[in-house]
Amino acid sequence: MWDTFLIAWRQLSYQRMKLVVACAGVVVAVMLMLVQLGIREGALENSIAIAAKVQADLVVISPRTKTIFQSTQFPRRLLMRLAGHPAVDYVQEMYMSQARWRNPWEFREHPIAVFGVDPRSPLIDFPGYSRMASELLLPDRLIFDRNNRVTYGPVREHLAAEGYLETEINHRRVRVIGSIPVGISIVSDGNLFLAPANFLRLFPQRNPGAIDLGLIRLKPGADREAVVQDLRPLLGAEARLMTREELVDSESRFVRESAPIDFIFGMGAVVGFFIGFVVVYQILYTEVTNHLPQFATMKAMGFSDRTLLSIVYYQGLLLSVLGYIPGFFLALWLYTVATRAIQMPFSMTWNRGISVFLLTVVMCLLSATIALQKVRRVDPADVF
Amino acid sequence: MSSDLRASTAATTPSRDPVPVIEAHDLCFAFGLGELRRQVLFDLNFEVKSGEIVLLTGPSGSGKTTLLTLIGGLRRVTEGELTVLGRPLHQATTADLTANRRDIGFIFQQHNLLEFLSARQNVELMFQLHPEVAPETVRQKAVEILTLVGLAERLDYHPSRLSGGQRQRVAIARALVTQPRLVLADEPTAALDSATGRDVVELLQYLARTNGCPILMVTHDNRVLDIADRILNIEDGRLRTVDK
Repeated sequence: MWDTFLIAWRQLSYQRMKLVVACAGVVVAVMLMLVQLGIREGALENSIAIAAKVQADLVVISPRTKTIFQSTQFPRRLLMRLAGHPAVDYVQEMYMSQARWRNPWEFREHPIAVFGVDPRSPLIDFPGYSRMASELLLPDRLIFDRNNRVTYGPVREHLAAEGYLETEINHRRVRVIGSIPVGISIVSDGNLFLAPANFLRLFPQRNPGAIDLGLIRLKPGADREAVVQDLRPLLGAEARLMTREELVDSESRFVRESAPIDFIFGMGAVVGFFIGFVVVYQILYTEVTNHLPQFATMKAMGFSDRTLLSIVYYQGLLLSVLGYIPGFFLALWLYTVATRAIQMPFSMTWNRGISVFLLTVVMCLLSATIALQKVRRVDPADVF
Repeated sequence: MSSDLRASTAATTPSRDPVPVIEAHDLCFAFGLGELRRQVLFDLNFEVKSGEIVLLTGPSGSGKTTLLTLIGGLRRVTEGELTVLGRPLHQATTADLTANRRDIGFIFQQHNLLEFLSARQNVELMFQLHPEVAPETVRQKAVEILTLVGLAERLDYHPSRLSGGQRQRVAIARALVTQPRLVLADEPTAALDSATGRDVVELLQYLARTNGCPILMVTHDNRVLDIADRILNIEDGRLRTVDK
């Protein structure tokens, strides 16, 4: 087996330039697949980032709400009903809306997502949010998302230099007192975080009794399923109780169904696969055709079809490994480029890395299978 | 023939088997079917015995190479009987034909070395068909036989860096290194100048004699006829034996 592998490698590597070109084809395919799948997954993940950051055991939303980015409000009193259950530790309301942020450098307004949640013990993981709780409780103070797009102005740099920034949101003077990294998505270009009282100051027309998201923390050791069964009848048809995981599921389902990213980038990956397939097939076919007299000679000397076929298969495998490695690192590099350009984090996952590798192997072996039909048919008598 | 004999590197005296190495009875061969059918070999009857060097001569198109491919198991017999190394090839399966090829050393008109392997690797390649031979032995035998054909200094040269004569000598080394029970050579001197061709044929003769291995060689080359024990002459697909 090792001997056969060596023959395959020596035949493949005899002409260095051809090998490099062959690998380049695989590299392109690997890169395409990794980047397309990466953007697809990254965009999906970023879109559910807020839902994924929820730390409450249970959440309450309006039954009309399809995604928390375009939520319908429900009465706060329904949430308060649940607070009485012995297994419930505490409940917390969250307000969400779109506001208009004035870029104080160019005086233009840009839409921005605003999240109002109690900074003292938030049931959502905004890293560093509760550390600034005392100041956030003062009127018209808020925090800026460090990952917001540059359209909002050089806020981070300004904050680093001056400590705070004054601007207008919904035509109301506010003070930005810091920035935390949460992350934007294809749904929103920027986020702001502030206490519920300050949220209501920005949206004076909004009814404080109508909230977007109810967060429930259960006492340690509580049986979540049993509590859900107890609480559900208390809400009736006006609000919907779900677990944190169900919220994440429904958010990702919404993004998949409503945004075309899943399809577009999924298709990009499929195209990558076929490009790779065609390229590798072409290469192996040419390779096999060029080596046909040698294959015929080996056949005449008594090498079995199986040995010759494994040579071609090994070459397919070698091409997939040799193409995958540089393709992987190129994709990593493109991830950082994309992260910088789109300002959404893209990262490599083990899962994707391995599945694309397996796809590459399948692609190469499939091409080998077609290319070696020629080897199978070669007539050893032709060498005389 | 036992593997012991094959494994022994010492020269063995040609054992005169009562059973011939090649035996043809009314052997016929035709290309194509129906109206396109063209018969190239007609009722051949001959034997090649162990240790014999037999030359096959005749004008081009007379069917020499076709006969060689039949004996080598590269084509199937259409009519008549052909027994090679005790295998009835007229009723052989594909696996039998492959097994037959493994027992035969082929030397082609073109050297047909694998360009991506060095001289030594080309020779060692043959042992992949004989996995029972230990790797150290493989290496040693390859070096030995390449030294014997005068290429000790060129072991790691690829065919592209060898001259025509050197390539053909590597091809001979490759054909003989596993001590085949029969060597089939198709005009091994055709691509060589007369002096080199003579060298190559003498080398072949020497190696065959020391191993007691019969050789059937197709040739046009009148200069090498003297090495033969027997000459078979084919004309228009019919055999005219010319005994020496």
